[in-house]
Order: sequence, then structure tokens, then C-alpha cells
Amino acid sequence: MTTRGPAPADGRPFPWLLPAIAFTALFYLVPVIDVVRLAFSDATLVRGASGYSLDAFRAVLGDPALPQVLGTTFVFTAVNVIALQVAGLAIALLIVRGEARGLRGMAAFRTLVLAAWVVPGIANGLIWQMLFDEAPYGTLNSILGGVGLGPVAWLSDPQMALVSAVIANLWQGTAFSMIVFYAARRGIDPTLYEVAQLDGARAWRSFRSITLPLLRTAIAVNTVLVTVQTLNTFDSILALTGGGPGRATEVLALFTFNTVFYNFDLAGGSVLAVLLFTISAALAALVHGWLGRT
Amino acid sequence: MSARVGDLATYAVLALLAVFFATPFVWLLSLSLRTPAEVFRGAARLIPHEPTLGNFAYILSDPAFLTYLWNGLKLSALGGGLAVVLAIPAAYACSRLDFRGKQGVLIGILAVQMISPLVILVPLYRWMGALELLNLDASVVAVYGALGMPLAVWLLKVAFDAIPAEIEEVAFVDGASRLQVLTRITLPLARPGIASAFILAMVMNWSQFLVPFILLERDGDWPISVAIFNFAGSTSASTTQLLAAACLIAVVPAVAVFVALQRMIVSALIAGAVKG
Repeated sequence: MTTRGPAPADGRPFPWLLPAIAFTALFYLVPVIDVVRLAFSDATLVRGASGYSLDAFRAVLGDPALPQVLGTTFVFTAVNVIALQVAGLAIALLIVRGEARGLRGMAAFRTLVLAAWVVPGIANGLIWQMLFDEAPYGTLNSILGGVGLGPVAWLSDPQMALVSAVIANLWQGTAFSMIVFYAARRGIDPTLYEVAQLDGARAWRSFRSITLPLLRTAIAVNTVLVTVQTLNTFDSILALTGGGPGRATEVLALFTFNTVFYNFDLAGGSVLAVLLFTISAALAALVHGWLGRT
Repeated sequence: MSARVGDLATYAVLALLAVFFATPFVWLLSLSLRTPAEVFRGAARLIPHEPTLGNFAYILSDPAFLTYLWNGLKLSALGGGLAVVLAIPAAYACSRLDFRGKQGVLIGILAVQMISPLVILVPLYRWMGALELLNLDASVVAVYGALGMPLAVWLLKVAFDAIPAEIEEVAFVDGASRLQVLTRITLPLARPGIASAFILAMVMNWSQFLVPFILLERDGDWPISVAIFNFAGSTSASTTQLLAAACLIAVVPAVAVFVALQRMIVSALIAGAVKG
């Protein structure tokens, strides 16, 4: 320890990276590789793999439930990705505007949105289950009843149940997009807006010509992050509807969980996990492309 | 004049959104303070006429429930701590060392974060069994460490980047080794970033359901997130107020910590988002 340290800019990175790489490999990459192996096996929750074949793939891909699950997943993900970002962007811009104008309460509002973000997914599902309670004394139905509307079959109608699941997810997920867009918007040079104002540009014109183009990278990256997050969301839906009624709200992530824990089908669950992973990896590659371009 | 109209419009929209974001919290609190009779009165009893703390007393008098809370705290804190410990050297290397493939390492870390625990749920269970870690806290803590590490690396790299390298160089000239510089100079200066990364990882761990659900089979080992799911299965319409109280108890620690420290955490997140 008495020798002089190396100059700050050089040094071998490997020893520094080793702990992080070792842990990721041991508790993450080994299982990822193993899930591919299991997908070609005939393992169940009570019995290990005794042979390898494409049977599990055939069974899962031939499962008549799969098209519906994928359709539900697509609708749930697409609607959420759009709505989460529109809401997150709108809130971020409103807060930035409020702060610029010195309006009070902006920090409190931001805190409220963030508070929903840290609610555990299971609790989120349980809380919204109480709000959507279809009995006359349920939150939303008793409020609607008070003004002469409803009752709405929030969770028992298949289409409405998917809408309800989206609402619950919006409540929790908006904060993430809000932070990303808030950070990106604050990174824009304010003189651009001052110049635009001098040129007589209205708010909408500034938004179209300055904000949107300069937020393009943030929107692109956020789209992929939010898509992957939404794709893997299942605990809130598990607690809210359990996937029902029927399979109306059973997204791919929940279907995977149910295949393992209710059908005890390890091989089938692994095939679904590989499917989930493939979709996520394709999206991650997209992020790489976007980041590489800028 | 039009700016005033704009202010009013801003407030109007934010007020509507505030109602949406506040309603679940307000309703949860309301239900948890009601007697069973008032639960059945719906929105008419938003503010209970006979508020009671009995639901909380009932839940908290169950020693198992306190164990779940303690388990949740223990697993979250240890997992968050492990994530930060793993992330510090990696983030330091990415911040201070020039090496080939650095961008690849950073993007690789981001890519790992995109793999949901759901993908590895089956092999993880078997792998932990093979390592003889199943049903041990260590298994959950290890996975939390691997799960939380990527975000921590990004946040800590940004925090280290903000510390001028000149400060470190002075210490090098005085003969300090890189490890000494890291522990004596860089880490103390990066305290807010480290704290933010730890708290964020901890809050994420508190929310985790799947990992402890798979790896811990004994009731007494469960954290609160798994326990309330189980508890919900045993409740009915007549015990809604108890479920509400249990949910509130599960939600409040994470929300309270986050709200108390949000200024620090949000600025760390914003710095990370700008750089990322």
C-alpha cells in the first residue's frame, strides 16, 4: 500500500467488474440458460427432466388458449404503453410549466404520483379490487350510484375487466414515464423557448417544434422500457382479477405464472418464459439500436 | 392575461389528475377506519361516522403479521445493500477507468435489467435447490442483489461522474492506492447517490412478490408482499376493512420512506435519466 497508485485514467477494469458479473452470472444467467434447456424437456413441478423433445413447444404453441392470451397481452401492452406515456408526458410538461410560473403545489403533486409508483404490485391489485367492487357499496359504483349512474360491471364483464386492469396499471405506472420526461424536458435549453416566444410562437407551436423533436430519444427509449415493464406485469393482475373472468385479463406473464403454479407444467412454463424472453430481448436490441444511433 | 388563464388550466388539469391518483389512497384509509356496518354504506361513509382503529389493532395483534413486516424489511434491506455493494466497484470502474467495451458493459447491464424474474422463475427454483439455498433468506437476498445491481450501477456511475477527478488525483500524488481513494474520498462524497440507490433498490424489493413466493415455502419466512396475497384469499366481503388495514400497513412503509427522501431520490433518478 506504500506504492503510488496508478494514474486515474488507466487500470484493468476486470477486478472491479468481477463481483457484479459473478452475481449476475450465478443468479441470473445460469437460470436463463437453464430455462432454454427446460423448454425442450418434459419436466414438471414434481418430476425432473427425463428426456428432451419439442413436445412442450408443440403443446404450448398448439394450446387453443394461446392466441387469446397473446391477443390480450398485445391489447393490454399497447394501450398501456400509449396511455402511460401520454399521461406521463402531459404531467411532466404541466409540472415544468407550473414550476416555471412559480405555481405552488407542484412538488406535492409529483409526490402523489410517485407514491402510487412504490405501492407493491400485489397491494395495487387488492386496492383496485376494493375500488372496483361491484356491490352497491363498492367505491366507484356507490359514487356513480350517487349521481344516478351505473352500476358498472368493472370486473365481471370481460371487456370491462381489461379496461379496469389498464386503469389500475396506469395509476401505478405513470410515475416512471413522468420522471423520464420531466428529466428530458428540463434538459432542453430554455433559450430555445425564449426565442420561439420572441418570434410569436404559441404554446402548441413550441411543443410541436421544440419539445417533441428534442424529446424524441427520451420517448424512444422510454417506449421500450415501458413496453418491457408492461409485458412482464402480472402481480397486480393476479391480485385484481386472477386473469378472469375466463381468460379475459390473462396476459402472457400471468399465463406463464399460472402454467407453472396451477398446472405444475414446468416445461410448458419454460416455453412461455422463452417466448417472453425472446420478445423482451428483441425490444432490448431495439434500445441498443436507438442508443447506438444517438 | 393569457398566462393567468394558462395557470388556471394547469391547476384544473392537475386537480383532476390529483383526484385520480389520490382516490385509491383515500379510499383505502377510509375503509381501514370503518366498522363492518359502515363498509356496507359505500361512498356515503367516506368519512366514517364511527371511525375505529380496531382493524389495525386486530391485524397488528397477530404476531405472524409482525413477522411478515420484519421479514419484508430484512430481505429488502439486505438485498438493497447487496445490490449497492456489488454496484460500487463496477460503477467506479465505468466512471473512472478507460477500457475497451465500456459502452458494451453499460448496455449489457441495462439489458440484464430487462430480463424479468418471471423468465427465470422455474430454473431459479431448481438452481437454488441445487445450491441448497432454498427456503433460506440468502437465496432471496442473492437474487435481489442481482436484480437491483443494474439500476444501482447506473445511478452510482452518474454520482461518481459528478465528483471532480482532480480531488482523487491529489490523493494519488500523496501515495494513496485506488482502493484507498475509493473508500476514503470518493464514497463519502457520493453519499447522496449511494443512499438513493440503496433506498430505491429497497423499495423495489419491498414490492417484490414473485421471488420470495418461489424461493420461500414456509409461511414464517414470507415477507409482507407474499403474506397479503395469501391473506386476501382468506377474506370475504365482511372482512374488507381488515384487508384494507393490512394493505395500508403493507403500503405505508415504502410510501413513507420514499416520500420522506423523494427530493434526494428524484434528483438522483433525474441525473441518471439525463445521462442515460
